[in-house]
Amino acid sequence: MRNLIGYLLKRAAWMILTLWAVYTVSFILMRSVPGNPFSGERSLPPAIERQLKARYNLDAPPLQQYWDYLVGIVTRFDLGWCMGLEDYSVNQVLAEGFPVSATLAIFALVFAILLGVTAGVISAVYRRTKADVILMFAAVLGIAIPNFVLASLAILLFVFMIQIFPAGGWGTLKQIALPAFCLGLPVAAYIARLSRTGMLEMLTKDHVRTAIAKGLPHRTVILRHVLPGALLPVVSYLGPAVARVLTGSLVLEKIFALPGMGSHFINAATQRDYTLAMGMVLTYTVILFVMNTLVDLAYAIIDPRVKLQ
Amino acid sequence: MPPEVRRGFVIVAGLLAVAAVIWAARMDHIPPADFAFQNGTDPSTLDPHRATGQPEGRVIFELFEGLLRMLPEGEPDPETGLQPLTPQPAMAERYEISEDGKTFTFHLREGIRWTDGTPITAHDFAWSWLRMLHPATACEYAYLINEVRLATEYNGSVVNIGDKVEVELWDRPGETPTSEANVQHFPRGTMKYGTLRGIIKPDAPEPAENSTDDQREQAQLDWEERWIYEIEVADPNAEGDGQATLERFAMSAEVAASDETVQRMHGVLVDFKHFGGAQAIDDRTFVVHLNNSVPYFLNLVAWYPLFPVNQNCVETHGTPLWTKAENIVTNGPYKLKFRRLRDRIRAEKFMDYWRADEVSFETIDFVSLESQNTAMNMYETGQLQWVWDLPASVLEELKDRDDFHSAPKLSIYFYKLNNDVPPLDDIRVRQAISMAIDRRQIVEQVTKAGEQPAFTVVPPGIAGYKGPEGLKGSVEQARALLAEAGFPGGRGFPKMSLMYNTSERHRPIAEVIQQQLQNNLNIKLELKNMEWGSFVETVQQEKYEIARYGWVGDYPDPNTFLDLWVTGNPQSNTNWSNPEYDRLIKAASSELNPQRRMELLRQAESILATELPIIPIFFYTSAEMAKTNIVGFAPSAQDLHPLSILRYRSDDAAPAHSQD
Repeated sequence: MRNLIGYLLKRAAWMILTLWAVYTVSFILMRSVPGNPFSGERSLPPAIERQLKARYNLDAPPLQQYWDYLVGIVTRFDLGWCMGLEDYSVNQVLAEGFPVSATLAIFALVFAILLGVTAGVISAVYRRTKADVILMFAAVLGIAIPNFVLASLAILLFVFMIQIFPAGGWGTLKQIALPAFCLGLPVAAYIARLSRTGMLEMLTKDHVRTAIAKGLPHRTVILRHVLPGALLPVVSYLGPAVARVLTGSLVLEKIFALPGMGSHFINAATQRDYTLAMGMVLTYTVILFVMNTLVDLAYAIIDPRVKLQ
Repeated sequence: MPPEVRRGFVIVAGLLAVAAVIWAARMDHIPPADFAFQNGTDPSTLDPHRATGQPEGRVIFELFEGLLRMLPEGEPDPETGLQPLTPQPAMAERYEISEDGKTFTFHLREGIRWTDGTPITAHDFAWSWLRMLHPATACEYAYLINEVRLATEYNGSVVNIGDKVEVELWDRPGETPTSEANVQHFPRGTMKYGTLRGIIKPDAPEPAENSTDDQREQAQLDWEERWIYEIEVADPNAEGDGQATLERFAMSAEVAASDETVQRMHGVLVDFKHFGGAQAIDDRTFVVHLNNSVPYFLNLVAWYPLFPVNQNCVETHGTPLWTKAENIVTNGPYKLKFRRLRDRIRAEKFMDYWRADEVSFETIDFVSLESQNTAMNMYETGQLQWVWDLPASVLEELKDRDDFHSAPKLSIYFYKLNNDVPPLDDIRVRQAISMAIDRRQIVEQVTKAGEQPAFTVVPPGIAGYKGPEGLKGSVEQARALLAEAGFPGGRGFPKMSLMYNTSERHRPIAEVIQQQLQNNLNIKLELKNMEWGSFVETVQQEKYEIARYGWVGDYPDPNTFLDLWVTGNPQSNTNWSNPEYDRLIKAASSELNPQRRMELLRQAESILATELPIIPIFFYTSAEMAKTNIVGFAPSAQDLHPLSILRYRSDDAAPAHSQD
């Protein structure tokens, strides 16, 4: 237990350091790109631009801005007001967008794990049969096809030809189904390949051969002795998978008109919305860091050979 | 880890997964709205004095209402299909215009109310116009009412000795004489009114040799903060200058602290409240005084930056919190129910609206949608009833359908030329380039939405205005002009860059033009695409040669397209200057006779179309789909669609709708 707490503390320290580095780099990058949040088709009279800059503290010297904003984040968790979406603070944007992105990510991941592991187990158990070939071919396709192509196909099929799902929007479970499917499928394909490889490796292990030799039912051997070991690579893939699901949703949110965080990420960058862009970058950093830590923890618990350090 | 921990962990992880799915599956179902449509990107604000874009405009037009409102008048034009919209009485039941066209008197309706139940008075308008013009509001449309008396001076913080002025003391809520400023500029601190008698300026700072523009500007501002204003303060309501006292004010905390006769203040502005051109005579009479007559002024009054906002609401909650659904107070046909980012704005009918019985839809969804394909899909599956941004790839097929509408819009697509860069400073070169571009090929093979090739700058469809023909020319003429300018067959012509902002829309057009100029004139263009922020900055710093631009008319009058190119206009960025052009635009702005005024504008436009500091490419056309069972839907030149007059055909049985 002691090393667990020590490990968590160490990770937390690293996370703060990472966040600070990310903050610094983003701050410098954003301000060195040409343009500012107030540049539009119509150029603003200088007096008005000055008023706006004063409102967002952009008239202070850069170091002062760097420090003021950092103090606001650290002491009050206040990421400031958006410069583009004027009526919203960054915290409000995150509070509205995060549940949507999280919901989508949860459905996509659960779907991906269930489908991926099932497919992987089936093709490993029945290797070199037709089922194996078909499943693995599908998995290769799933990895290769980008999710926006998948989304177009899915819309054509399930919205227009067989009219069971709505074309877009948010608010009902039906509206989540298609985007979660498109988001989860490539991950499922990857998991299928991982778990098949894991299974095949485990099937050759001595203890599995012993179990089969002593006459245990095939099903028991697979479930009790093969699967747990075979799932280790899958668990370690969950960290990158979360990252993939979160970043992959940027495109799908646009196609299915979902109010998640992803679209803010892109718009904030193109509109030079300094505060919103910073909020997004920091939030994604925290999410990915936390998910990776959780995966590492899980790994250490499941696999007795792994030590936390 | 002991095995029991491991087993326990598997169970816990499983339970967590189940819990997560249950959490994710909870959905608060909202019933669909009576009418839902594509509103483009998320509106950045609902504050009429801060908004600028079309998505914001569509919402604000339904939530708020001005003295006048743009509503259909007469039948759609049989040729173009355009429904004429005119400014018609709304919050004002009638208005009078003085003979010289400089004074407008608006009489407000009786019994009109805000959504919080309080009555709407002329004072609400006076305060709202003041807020809109206040420099700290930073309203981008403030320039539209430059002709309102003292508006320019107030908005631009211009004061001169002898002016009647207002002073806002440094005592806004939460401020102490030495504190930072409270950024909320309403409610204001203690106001003092009087006459500016003098400004005591300390020695101007000497800018260092190597200081940048920013540093110089900063030094100048710091210096101005230290100025001491001497003002004869008097009660503006009292007659005569009886009990006037001379008081001294400065913005700098340091100056105010070092001299106790100096009071700290936020700034000195002209006294717009008492002497400006927007005055409430009584609760129901609002009078506007202009310096010069503005022929399209009624159109401006019906434009959302001049809509009223509720003073109590703004001052209680502050900007921007007052625009939240739980705080906002509005006066239009609809009120805000909720607002979800990147999803929708739901508005519901305001039952105390003065014409509520004629408003048909109970609820409206302004759906935030950026993708053309998604909008089209949602329209086809019945989730939306109106879409206006159609994918070019399917336009051909949509054109013949009953629910397809297309009509010219008040907007133009053009290229700016930097007239400072040789050889673009040569009028013959500019003309040659313009003549060598085949606009028909662009609109027929690239954009394909029925756009009109443009050789002039003002789009067709403005009542009472017929623009010049423009310089069509031919490729032969273009070659001759280019040879005359010293580049026979394009020899010796420097390689130029053509810039556009990154977009699927602009790239193919730029490519066609590159091809055409290469084939017709042997001029080589390099295409440069830039992401929007960098693009705008590069053009504004005039570090370009040819750059794509677009312009949408702010009001239905040629002036909105022509006054951009007057010498020194910050929107121009072309370095083009023509004294005769400037003179014509100025003359038109003070011409009272509408025909003569249009003639002056026409002459100005023909100079523009001959000298070509910009090269017009095409006039935009709207292409939109609206379900056929909607009554009252028609395209309009300004692309305005008043939603409160729409209804579904099935409720034909309801009493017939009448217009004022």
